[in-house]
Amino acid sequence: MHEDRYAAAGGAASRSRRWDSGPQRLEAALSEAHDQERRIRRRRLLGGGVAAVAAAGGLTTWGLASHSDPSSAAAPSASDRPVRGGTLVYLDAESSRSTQPQAAGTWQDSAYLENITDRLVWKDPETGEIQPYIAESWHVSEDATTYTFRIREGVTYSDHTPLDAASVKRNLEWQARGDERNGIQPSTEWPRPTTITSEGSTVTVRLRAPYNDFLDVLSGWGASLVADRTINAPLETQQQITGIIGSGPFVVESEKYGERIVFARRTGYDWAPPGLRQQGEALLERVEVHAVTDDTTRLGTLRSGEADAIRYIQPADERNLADEDGFQVLAAQGIGATNQWHLRQSIPALQDVRVRRALQVGIDRKTLLSDLYTDNWSVARSVVTEDTVGFVDQEERLAFDPDTANGLLDEAGYDERDDEGYRTKDGERLSLVTVIDVYDATAKPLYQLVQSQLKELGVQLILRDADYSQVSEAYAAPDVAMVRSGWPYPAPWATLRTIWETSRTDDFAIEGGDPALDELLADQATAKGERARASALADLQEYVVANAYTIPLLKDSQIFAAKNDVNGLSWSAEARPLFYSTWLDRP
Amino acid sequence: MLARTRYVLTRILQALLVVAVTYVLTYWVLFALPGDPVKNRLDNPQNPVPPDQARAIIEYYNLDEPAITQFAITVGRLLHGDLGYSLGTGRAVSDLVLQGLGSTVVLALVALVVAAVIAAVVGTLAVFAPWEAVRRLARLVPGLSLATPSFLIGLFLLQIFSYQLGWVSALKTEGASTVVLPAITLGISVSPAITQVLIQGLTEASGRPFVKVLRSRGLSGGAIVGRHVFRNGSIPALTLLALTIADLIAGSVIVESVFNRAGLGYVTEQAVRSQDGPIVLAVVLLASSLYTLINLATDLLYPVIDPRIGIAEPPGRPARRTPAPVSARAAADAPEPASASASASASASASAEGA
Repeated sequence: MHEDRYAAAGGAASRSRRWDSGPQRLEAALSEAHDQERRIRRRRLLGGGVAAVAAAGGLTTWGLASHSDPSSAAAPSASDRPVRGGTLVYLDAESSRSTQPQAAGTWQDSAYLENITDRLVWKDPETGEIQPYIAESWHVSEDATTYTFRIREGVTYSDHTPLDAASVKRNLEWQARGDERNGIQPSTEWPRPTTITSEGSTVTVRLRAPYNDFLDVLSGWGASLVADRTINAPLETQQQITGIIGSGPFVVESEKYGERIVFARRTGYDWAPPGLRQQGEALLERVEVHAVTDDTTRLGTLRSGEADAIRYIQPADERNLADEDGFQVLAAQGIGATNQWHLRQSIPALQDVRVRRALQVGIDRKTLLSDLYTDNWSVARSVVTEDTVGFVDQEERLAFDPDTANGLLDEAGYDERDDEGYRTKDGERLSLVTVIDVYDATAKPLYQLVQSQLKELGVQLILRDADYSQVSEAYAAPDVAMVRSGWPYPAPWATLRTIWETSRTDDFAIEGGDPALDELLADQATAKGERARASALADLQEYVVANAYTIPLLKDSQIFAAKNDVNGLSWSAEARPLFYSTWLDRP
Repeated sequence: MLARTRYVLTRILQALLVVAVTYVLTYWVLFALPGDPVKNRLDNPQNPVPPDQARAIIEYYNLDEPAITQFAITVGRLLHGDLGYSLGTGRAVSDLVLQGLGSTVVLALVALVVAAVIAAVVGTLAVFAPWEAVRRLARLVPGLSLATPSFLIGLFLLQIFSYQLGWVSALKTEGASTVVLPAITLGISVSPAITQVLIQGLTEASGRPFVKVLRSRGLSGGAIVGRHVFRNGSIPALTLLALTIADLIAGSVIVESVFNRAGLGYVTEQAVRSQDGPIVLAVVLLASSLYTLINLATDLLYPVIDPRIGIAEPPGRPARRTPAPVSARAAADAPEPASASASASASASASAEGA
């Protein structure tokens, strides 16, 4: 998608790999061969090292190979041997806006951060498992409130200052508390209050209560570890990619506002997550990122050979390019929340659960996908993606069922129709307002199709265009009945809690709040043990879906296109492109 | 001479007033409009910052202060030469404007030359081409280029010269060759008005009696057109050329987006899109200054091109309220200069060539 949206932190301490969880699961996955992503994962399971979606031409991904998956350790064939060196020209769909880690969230900025910094822990993009990274090991106390991390030796930031336990302590305090003087906000996903201490090569974090999302929070771009010089700098410096001094496999070599950022390989980099196949320095010498906002220009530049890879192409172009020789279309679906519409119960009509349920089953997700998108997209089966910890399939509740929808609306009293065919109750039309997502170039047709589907039910959906600069006002308008939300997040449950909880952003706007929901949100965060948490998460999902607080629509896909000789392009767990193991198969 | 100095001083004061009023108006509009990048970031539905955490950020930007206090802070900084920082990206506004200006001035100047060349060629063909068909065709050009959106021209040029032939890079923005395509695009988009006015000016000038006088003196057609008709007929086009500066800045928004150049147009587009006050204000300040300055320069240029135009200074009394260039424009625009006989006009323009 072509957007500039904010996503944030949240997730799970440890989880079993989705496809490893049993033969039934595997069977189910294999049967859904139309799903591109799954098709590739299947290939991976069957013994290949291929982990990315390649609609045209095979793409070998090294970066995603997980140490928990011994099958991917097979030796590469000669032509697959990575080549060192070269410059990758990558065209992004938007220019950098703000790279201040705690506040960053645009697709582009979070991706740049992840390429130039390291985090305390690594989230395996395939399994969602939390693995060692800068913390070479950690220990969680019996009562799940004390985390002790052992910090890897010999790690340095690109300004040659050490990334040691003292530096980690300072970073964590900064993430937890922000820095009011410099205009830095705390990370919204951090539990408060906390005490952080360091001793020798260990850092200890004490939480007041258990917080199951904690390690996931530490795996995200918002938890990027940076040098003192960055922490000491004012907000304005931290908002520039040149102001971020990290320890990652790339460093910022130069930048020209609005045009390009040049990342250079960090010499001496030797602390990649041990779970990655690629170790040591990055393969590419440079990555040249150009912000090319115009979709036609971006694709034209790729086709002309001047660019090696681009982010975001429109669904129609996706199909055309996939048929051409020399290019591959790649889709990345991250772990996190699914794209969904939150219903605001401040709107009287939506206070009736029957109306909400009717909307939920009255939208035909499969038609949305087949009419507007490609095989690289899939429908949402819950409020989170299948690979998120605790996912429970809600497809039965969400399946398209116009008869039930019509019955529920009749029952709710909207049984009369006006001249235009819309349902009315006591002479008042069932009419709802929503704001078209301004950040997403594909949003308008999606909203219009939903509008026409709801019209079939006799529900009027009024689409409001918002100005880019007035998004927050447009969403906050009191007559807006639903807002779009949900993308890959490092700690999905923590983020959903921030968005849903009455005392925080309160997206469902339930009058007087919903103590039951707040309790479920709190329970899953503090539940002790994997089984207890899984059950708490199952309850939570069932609760918000059965009560139709939200309408899960589809799973977000990040679409990339690249020349065929671009290899090893990989993605973080949140579908941000990582260039660490990327290489160019050219002389 | 005194009148001239007075005139220039008055015009500079007027220009300053225009710039100041524009600035205040823009500030007021930005303030009156809902939304700003900081609040958009804090309230974003994807990553909302809870109110207790948002407070510190709002205070950091002084957004909790009343409008008049914020205005005082902004103007105070401005008077110290501090344009502030972008609310969205944290960049120093002065850096953005300087970078943008450096890129856009080059683009605009080359585009202006392109526009002038197009106008001159098309204008000449439309008025003096010996073939009726060519004249008609040339007269179609301004309308046609006006009707073609510049992004279409830009993409068309990119398609041919960059994607197909590979002569120029679609990504690089440094070096002389990279400015050619965007400048042609921008030049075409601002040329129609200039061409049209030039065609009219030349048509009128060539129909004037002095042309007959010159011809009777045995001057060749080329000399008449080149030295006299063009000079007479180009005054309105020159006025328009100065006004074109506004079109160039506006046009650069689209052209820079298509050609991936982070010039002033791009900076403006990004700032307006996210309602980034400090940048918008700086751009308005710059554009209004530039606009008034160039118009002032044009007014001072008229007498150089046409000696009949001067700063009116009646003997014994300094010019007080005669906005000379206005009357000069009127004189130039008038089909028959009211004060000058045809032959006087002819000889005036004939002698102008020696000046």
